[in-house]
Amino acid sequence: MTGSILSTSGLVAGYEPDLPIVHGIDFSVASGELVVLLGPNGAGKSTFVKAIAGLVPIHAGTMLLNGRDITHVAPHRKVAEGLAFVPQTENVFATMTILENLQIAVAHLAKAKRAAAIEALFARFPDLAARPSRLAGALSGGQRQMLAVARALALDPPVIILDEPSAGLSPKIVSEVFEMLKAINASGVTVLLVEQNVKAALAIASRAVILAEGRIAHEGLPQDLASDPLVGKIYLGTAHDHQKAPA
Amino acid sequence: MNPQFIMDGLIAGAIIGLGAVGVTLTYSILRFSNFAHGELLSWGAYLALAVAGALGTLSAGLTKPIAPFSFGWALPLAAVIAIGLTGLLALAVDALLFSSFRRRGSAIIIMVMASFGASLALRSLLEFLFTSRPAYFTKALQIAMKLGGGLRATPDQLLMLGVTLVSVVTVHLLMTRTDIGRAMRAVSENPALASIAGIDVRRVIRTTWFLGAALACVAGIMSGLLIQIRPYIGHDLLLPLFAAAILGGIGSVPGAMLAGLIIGLCEALAVQAVGAEWRAAVSFVILIAVLLVRPRGLFGKAS
Amino acid sequence: MTLDILAYAAFFLSMALTYAIICLGLNVQWGMTGLFNVGIAAFVAVGAYTSALLTTPPSPDRFGGFDLPIFVGWLGAAITSGLLSWAVGALTIRLRSDYLAIATFGIAVTVQLCMLNLQPITGGAFGIGFIPRPFAGLQENALLFSLANFGVMALVVLALYLGLEHLAKSPWGRVLRAIREDEMAAQALGKRPIRFRLQAFSLGGAIMGLAGAAQAHFIGFIAPDNYMPILTFQVWAMLIVGGSGNNRGAIAGAVLVWGLWALSAAAVSSFVPAEQQARAASLQIVAIGVGLCLMLLWRPRGLFGEVSPLTRLKSLRRAPSKE
Repeated sequence: MTGSILSTSGLVAGYEPDLPIVHGIDFSVASGELVVLLGPNGAGKSTFVKAIAGLVPIHAGTMLLNGRDITHVAPHRKVAEGLAFVPQTENVFATMTILENLQIAVAHLAKAKRAAAIEALFARFPDLAARPSRLAGALSGGQRQMLAVARALALDPPVIILDEPSAGLSPKIVSEVFEMLKAINASGVTVLLVEQNVKAALAIASRAVILAEGRIAHEGLPQDLASDPLVGKIYLGTAHDHQKAPA
Repeated sequence: MNPQFIMDGLIAGAIIGLGAVGVTLTYSILRFSNFAHGELLSWGAYLALAVAGALGTLSAGLTKPIAPFSFGWALPLAAVIAIGLTGLLALAVDALLFSSFRRRGSAIIIMVMASFGASLALRSLLEFLFTSRPAYFTKALQIAMKLGGGLRATPDQLLMLGVTLVSVVTVHLLMTRTDIGRAMRAVSENPALASIAGIDVRRVIRTTWFLGAALACVAGIMSGLLIQIRPYIGHDLLLPLFAAAILGGIGSVPGAMLAGLIIGLCEALAVQAVGAEWRAAVSFVILIAVLLVRPRGLFGKAS
Repeated sequence: MTLDILAYAAFFLSMALTYAIICLGLNVQWGMTGLFNVGIAAFVAVGAYTSALLTTPPSPDRFGGFDLPIFVGWLGAAITSGLLSWAVGALTIRLRSDYLAIATFGIAVTVQLCMLNLQPITGGAFGIGFIPRPFAGLQENALLFSLANFGVMALVVLALYLGLEHLAKSPWGRVLRAIREDEMAAQALGKRPIRFRLQAFSLGGAIMGLAGAAQAHFIGFIAPDNYMPILTFQVWAMLIVGGSGNNRGAIAGAVLVWGLWALSAAAVSSFVPAEQQARAASLQIVAIGVGLCLMLLWRPRGLFGEVSPLTRLKSLRRAPSKE
């Protein structure tokens, strides 16, 4: 395993100080990995990644990005430091155009480099390039997800975190999204993924971490977890997978 | 009916519109209706008065009217300084008061209440400093020019319309064409997403306060130049400002300006048709009508 | 001498208790329900004018004077203000929380205009005089008269207090609390939050109208000047100091803030030279505004508050967040 690019130690986080949802997580992602974060509903997966992104207050513990302590760095500075986050819902500015969404994303770059950065994103996501003046709110679910990922990739971040990118998408689009994530990871970006869509996520992951009640309950290689019946039953809900599959 | 009401309405509407643009910006980005916004108009007018007075004592030449207007160079110079000072005042009130509520995640209505307390304190402080006696930027009298079509306006009034037009176009371009403008719209739509999209939300909030206060200051000075300066000018304009912001659709700069003009024209029409004593009820009637028929206003987003 | 002091104390407390009634009304709206009313002065004024019109003797230069018993006037005041609150609430309660605030502010401005301009009904800037006072027969004896009036006010406050405490524990009060704590859950149980909020807002408004009537009959004279925005501020200061959500706090806050207000006003008039008194009075108002903000910042539960609607509203605001 190469050096850790993102790690937390003893991370305690939650909306209210007296009501932590994440109870001291020691966690590390190595450069180049694609880690999937699994667990039952209410396990604290979403809160954990939101805390990493700076959207949920951290009450104790520390967090390192590339060896630098970013525990109490403001969310917008984390973006500049190379940590990109794609929330589950409302992850694009619906009242603004595709182009404006991307202009916001590249605002940290020097003015001279912005146009090229947007061109590069359009080359990577040709669907978005077709009509850059469309309102993001008018896009389909899959296109929105593309735009959200494009926005997150705008600054060439070493790490990207995605909170349930497949939620609410049709099966065909879901597989496209997972293909895209695989490609992003292959291009050298470290990916941390929260997912309910267990099978699809395990298929592309290099490592899986299972959270339960705000703590890490299990860790391992995807193939081991997928075949472990006990883990499947308790934490992954594979017994009910057919119900959870998005419509 | 005398068509002059159109000119009177446009000028009153320009003042309301400028104030309403500030209200709509603070409302959409800070997410509460600021009852102290009217006081920023009053403070803007008094700050300009004080600075112009100081400039006048430094150099008497500055008070000599610039033809064809009623005021000397002291006023435009003072206006620029007062805009900065009013902006600082708004930032100070935010730092002392509203930022603490934001940090704690207080309910919207607590911020509304605090703004209500702040408006009382700011207004009465003006009364303490300057007394409630009306003050004037200039004693010079102006003769209205005939504009054709039965309309008349003084050079000062035409200048006000010009300043308003320039201000609104500037704000509109700022909101649509610049980084900070896009950032402001992004924060108004979704502050959490804005922060992880790399936007410094606190900087956006500071910019919003400053911009709203600057426009309020311009509106206050115009109101003072048009009639007179009293500690209550902002308070008396607050209902028209809210009505215009809601009629225009919260968050819409062109909407707030257009709605300001509509309210100004309706007021002027009501003054002719019903009587000046009912002027203040016009915005209430419009407000009720909007809330009944179309609560999101002319250009507002459906929620 | 002591009798004079006693009479004055009774007078002072009666006045304070009229504010306590307004404060109890506001507590129904804000403390129990979380509805922000910036137009308190308007609802109090409407009550005062209604009762004055109903109970004064006929007057040739304005509408009415129906010479009805005081009791009828008070009832009419509560009904009129209650109806006005209902109308404002019906229009805005379903919208964003601060639209109600803006609408009540508009009501305050408009009622002020009506008082000034509807001369044939309201007597214009001069207002209405010769409003019958309870126990007018005792007026010869200042002490007895003051004590009797104080007794009536105390009875009204006590009755309202007991009634509101009872209401808070009744099924209606419990639904109201449930809505405030968790609107979604209450809705799921088949309770319609808007209807309950509207009822609470109307009830609060009716109590304010009653307070306006009580005050008008106590003073015997009303004019638009009595119902300036400062009245709204004073009542808010009383409730915030006393602690919202708490009826005893509302009463205590009213007496305390009214006491401080009267004391500082007396100090201003005896120590400040006449030409500076207007200025000193404005400083007094600055103090109320700053005080209101400081209480919100440092002691949002009030001096006597047991429960804070602030934390409740906070949890309500956060209810939809996931995980």
